[in-house]
Amino acid sequence: MSGDLLKGRLIVVVGAGGVGKTTLAAALALGSAKEGRRTLVMTFDPSLRLKDALGVGDSGKGEPIRVMEAGPGFLDAALLDAKLTFDRLIRNYAPNAAAAKRIFSNRFYRDMAGNLSGILEYMAMERLFEMQASEGYDRIILDTPPTRQAMDFLQAPERMMNLVDSKAIQFAMDPWWDDAGRKNLAFRIALKGAMELSDRVIGRRFLLDVVEFIRAFAPLFDGFRSRAEDVRNLLLADETRFLLVAGPGPDRVPDAMFFLRKLQETGHHLGPILVNQVHPDPGPAAGKDQGTVLLRFLADRDQRGLSLLRSLFPGEKNIISVSLEPVPPGDLRTLGQLFEKLSKANPN
Amino acid sequence: MSVLDRIAERQLVVVTGKGGVGKTTLTAVLGRLLANRGKQVLLLEVDPRESLHQALGTEPSGGEVVPAGPGLSIQNLQPGAVIEGLVREKVPIAYLARKITESTAFHQFVEGAPGLKETALLGHAYRVLQGGHRPRTDLVIVDAPATGHGATMLAAPGLLAQAAEGGQLGDMASELADFLADASRCGVVLATLLEEMPVEETLELIELLWAKLGIRPDLVVANGMYPALPHGAAPTPGMNLWRARRRLNEAELGRLTASWEGPLLKLPLLPLDRGPALVKALVALLHEADS
Repeated sequence: MSGDLLKGRLIVVVGAGGVGKTTLAAALALGSAKEGRRTLVMTFDPSLRLKDALGVGDSGKGEPIRVMEAGPGFLDAALLDAKLTFDRLIRNYAPNAAAAKRIFSNRFYRDMAGNLSGILEYMAMERLFEMQASEGYDRIILDTPPTRQAMDFLQAPERMMNLVDSKAIQFAMDPWWDDAGRKNLAFRIALKGAMELSDRVIGRRFLLDVVEFIRAFAPLFDGFRSRAEDVRNLLLADETRFLLVAGPGPDRVPDAMFFLRKLQETGHHLGPILVNQVHPDPGPAAGKDQGTVLLRFLADRDQRGLSLLRSLFPGEKNIISVSLEPVPPGDLRTLGQLFEKLSKANPN
Repeated sequence: MSVLDRIAERQLVVVTGKGGVGKTTLTAVLGRLLANRGKQVLLLEVDPRESLHQALGTEPSGGEVVPAGPGLSIQNLQPGAVIEGLVREKVPIAYLARKITESTAFHQFVEGAPGLKETALLGHAYRVLQGGHRPRTDLVIVDAPATGHGATMLAAPGLLAQAAEGGQLGDMASELADFLADASRCGVVLATLLEEMPVEETLELIELLWAKLGIRPDLVVANGMYPALPHGAAPTPGMNLWRARRRLNEAELGRLTASWEGPLLKLPLLPLDRGPALVKALVALLHEADS
């Protein structure tokens, strides 16, 4: 059995870049489907081979694609696309087609909205909520995006709520220009210093674009706020588990600590911790050649990493060592084998 | 002229690549190599969780410039602090400057404005190079943040210049964008592992840098290659793992060089932990590979 590995209706796979989150998320999802659950794996940027294995080409962007069926269970996979989700969100919450069009044609939205910090993370959460609410799945496994501030997505709903409520937005709704971009006289007198400064430093046109964007967005705010709250509650729910994937070796321990602390602080439920790509013991081969010395060093280094992590979290029984695969899994068969291996490593 | 000779003539070098491919160690190695050639080199780190100092065996920077051997120093830089510094500079009245930097609206602007943080960091490097800073700096190497798309940072000033055209912010961003586009002064070094995803991202990044910014990297460094297998190795699980990994490295190297014909240097996986000993060994190996 898979023990705690598949605990939770929603499993969020987190970890630093390059530790193998996507592959593990796919293997877990496949295992879940084989256990008879209707399962969806949502992923950002799978490798070419994994894309092939899961059958999520560019054509299927956004919409789930059936990967395999196993009795009552099946596996669907979906690629996440922030811009598509943002567009759909606007269409859903805009009071009418004209309001949506106004946003879509705004220069700031077109050129920059996709680059706004936290948008990618928020859109992932948003899409997750949509899929979860559709009730077509027993379990959803989310592979999180490679972000700079890797835990941004946890704060994403909060940030969206803050933005909607912020003074800057209120201000933009009642700005110091009229529609032609001329300054409102009363404001000009009252707030001369600060306004002159932002005009001069930031530039009028930029501010006008942003204000126009915010005004166009305003009718959507109520929907946005309540949705962001729903997303936050979903992430904090009992049925939601965060499964941490860490790289091997002591050098990667600080990354894992960062994620663990953050999850604990924010009150999210932690699932098992998978220490991935651990070099196995090369065995008692007599070789003193360069390669054997290296393999022995790597095996020893990765054990040091595991010991360090275990010593830092003495109460944590669910730290699972996952050995490095000679060839990274790239099809359903090898993903299935990886899941078998994970289950064996986690018998409880 | 060797690759490192060419890089030594740059003023700004941005080291980028996918997370976990050894960017920080490579930044330290390049810094040491170029300092050895008589340059005054400053290494800028952006990640708030400092690690550059560990690679070089110095004290953490905490925002200050910290010496790290002859001709070399490091600094960890937080974009928020740089932007606040700029506001204090542009707003000579301390009270007013504080009012601005303490306001929620300001923080939301800094957090939310696309490209602002990246521009501030590159802008800091630019200003250091313009002089006025002691000690004199010939070359700044930026250990760029690990993003899915490393081009974001380099594209930021141009984006901001366009968006904020007409204000001082836009003017500054525009000057910086011109500087970054000047191939005689600025260069990009890409770090990668010879594995599928890192190679994939490297190839995408090369394409993106060229298409969007007209930048061709000065160098691609392939890190962590498994050594060649000795003849007649026994088929133990250890050897099988080694063989498979080496094969993977070679296949990915083939894929990389099929699309990238520019300068490429390979560095082997070494039995050393991250730290000064590793940097020292890689400095020697990179120097050798270059000549």
